[in-house]
Parts: sequence; C-alpha cells; structure tokens
Amino acid sequence: MTAYRSFRRSFDSIPDIFALTAEVFASEQIDPALLPSVDLTLEELFTNMVKYSASSAAVRIDLAKVPGGVEVTLTDYDVEPFDVTQAPDADIDLPIEQRKPGGLGLHLIRRLVDCVHYEYSPESRESRITFRKTQAGASASDRGTVAGSANAHD
Amino acid sequence: MLTIDFGPDGNVVIAGRLDAAQCPAAQAFLDQVQGTVTLDCSRLEYISSAGLGVLLKTQKRLMGSAGKLRLSGVNRHLQDIFVYSGFDKIFEIEPSP
Repeated sequence: MTAYRSFRRSFDSIPDIFALTAEVFASEQIDPALLPSVDLTLEELFTNMVKYSASSAAVRIDLAKVPGGVEVTLTDYDVEPFDVTQAPDADIDLPIEQRKPGGLGLHLIRRLVDCVHYEYSPESRESRITFRKTQAGASASDRGTVAGSANAHD
Repeated sequence: MLTIDFGPDGNVVIAGRLDAAQCPAAQAFLDQVQGTVTLDCSRLEYISSAGLGVLLKTQKRLMGSAGKLRLSGVNRHLQDIFVYSGFDKIFEIEPSP
C-alpha cells in the first residue's frame, strides 16, 4: 500500500509531514524504531527544497511499506536539478571556532537510511528523491561505526 | 510541538521535537541564557540539523564568555545524531540512564 500527500512549500508544513509518517507507520505496522530516522531524513530533504528552490509548487511525498521498513519518495516540481547524493560531507572534526550552523542535513541522512536515489526529468523539470529505511539497514551506530556514507550513493 | 523553560533545579528543560519549524522559539529562549547551562534533553524526542544549528550557535556564544552548554538525559537516537554530526567533540554529553 502506498500513501501520498502534497505539502505546501513552507517550514510550517513540517508538523503535517510528521503526522503523515506517524499515520502510515501506525496503519501499516511499520517498526516505530525506524520513525525518527525517517522523519529526520524527510525534514532535511523537504527543508532543502523549501530553501533552495524558486518553485512555488507543492512537494509530493509518497510512503510505501517494503519488507522490514518503508520507502519514501519526495517529488519536487518545476525545479532545477540538484543531486543531493553528490553533496559533500560536512567536516565534523573542525574545532568549534571554525564550525558554522548548517551543512549537516545531507551528511546526517547518509548515515541514517539504507540508500538514497536521485532522479531528474529535464522534460517535466521534476526532481525525485527516494530513500529506504529498513530494520536490515541498521544505522551506522547500530553497527558500531559511523563510517556509513557509501550506501547513500547506491 | 516544543517547550523550553527553566526547571526547578535551574537547568533548561527542553521537551518535544526540535525541528526547523520550532527553531526560532528555541533560539529566542537560548539567546537569553548566560554562563554554564545544562540543557535537560530527557524529554527531547527529536532533533534535526536545524536544531543542531541552534545548539551550536548557543555553544559558541557561551564559550565566548567562558561558559558552556552541557547536554544531559540524551537518548540513544539523539546520541547517534550528536556523534554523526561531531557534536560529541564540542559538547559535554550525559546520556540518559
């Protein structure tokens, strides 16, 4: 089963996005331990779309239950291409004097979900980002390491 | 939904979800604190990169005047986020029991 909804391009939509994920997790009996990582990844990708695109179109979010977890797709309309999977990691070893707020969102999602795919259609000017979170793709800390960025580029 | 206020022990208690929509309220509160401050995160369920930005900005300001922000009652999920973002190197973090 797939659930989808469109959300106004505003930070104010974030609580409604979380309401959708909570509703789907409950109705589809998806492991609630996966929900914080799914919410965080959705928030980071959605706020990126809000901040960096001039489009006024709503963003569509689809959620589908998959074995052991969930697959989520965000579709952004009338936009320029921006492949989130190619964004560089943040340098988390900098001393605090050199660290600046921001730049951590895409760095974090690589470590939280099993995989992230990006597609762009030049004809329709649509960006589509799909990620998957399952019990099998435990977060890096569950495996005792934080070096888990490669799977985000699958 | 997010709440942030001083607890009876003088610590700052933050509860709920620190997402991008809630950051302005959290930042406005933390901009008022001075010295060394403990942020009780035992009822903080969620933090995104926007929320991390609020904590980093506060830590930089407090350290600039010989203070600091300490994080207590940090649950497993938040601890993961702090490690992935390198915040375990710039904050004193006390996990939840």
